Amino acid sequence: MLALFSAGLVLGGLLSSLVLWLLSGLAAPLPPVLRYGVAVAIAVLAVLRDAGAVRFPLPQNTRQVPQDVLQRDLLRGSLQFGFELGTGVRTYVSSTAPYAVAVALLLVAPGWAGAALAGIGFGTGRAATPLMRIASPAGDPWDAALRARLKAITIGASAAVAVLLGWLASGP
Amino acid sequence: MIQDARTHARRLLTDPLVPLGSLAVLGAVAMASAPVLTWAVLGGLAGYALSGSV
Repeated sequence: MLALFSAGLVLGGLLSSLVLWLLSGLAAPLPPVLRYGVAVAIAVLAVLRDAGAVRFPLPQNTRQVPQDVLQRDLLRGSLQFGFELGTGVRTYVSSTAPYAVAVALLLVAPGWAGAALAGIGFGTGRAATPLMRIASPAGDPWDAALRARLKAITIGASAAVAVLLGWLASGP
Repeated sequence: MIQDARTHARRLLTDPLVPLGSLAVLGAVAMASAPVLTWAVLGGLAGYALSGSV
């Protein structure tokens, strides 16, 4: 079940990233320095937003994936549930990092392979949470540990995204 | 005793901060060796940032 859920997450992420890759052609006429500059600036803004230094709303689907997808057919529902979460557009987005990466994919246009890797990475990153929880010792208060570290994870992930994008921008 | 040590090690390895740290290290390695792989790490960071969100 977890394998199907994880596969769905990866497939959903892959679909979204390839859609972004298709749309990235629209930004191609802009000079690279502008495209990278805006991508890095938005990533820095994402860090500030996640740290609470700035506040502004971002578009998101303010709903949860309906639980009944799991009740109809557990196997198929696990795949569908994962797929919907993996797309990143079918439910809440509680961090700004996904927006920063989406904008970077649109502006930097790393090619289909880079976009596909980003999508697979997104799904895998989402799958890491339930995988880590299952791998933790039985009876371990893992959920409480996650809650305690959630802010650090959110800010840390955004900061790492900004640093890596800045590094990519300064590359050859 | 050994069981306690194993449980402790497992708890450390499954700490919710471990994936974040691992991705940060992987990102630096990817950037230095194969920059296209950095996109996988960027995606991973974006995905893991949504921990606790369904």
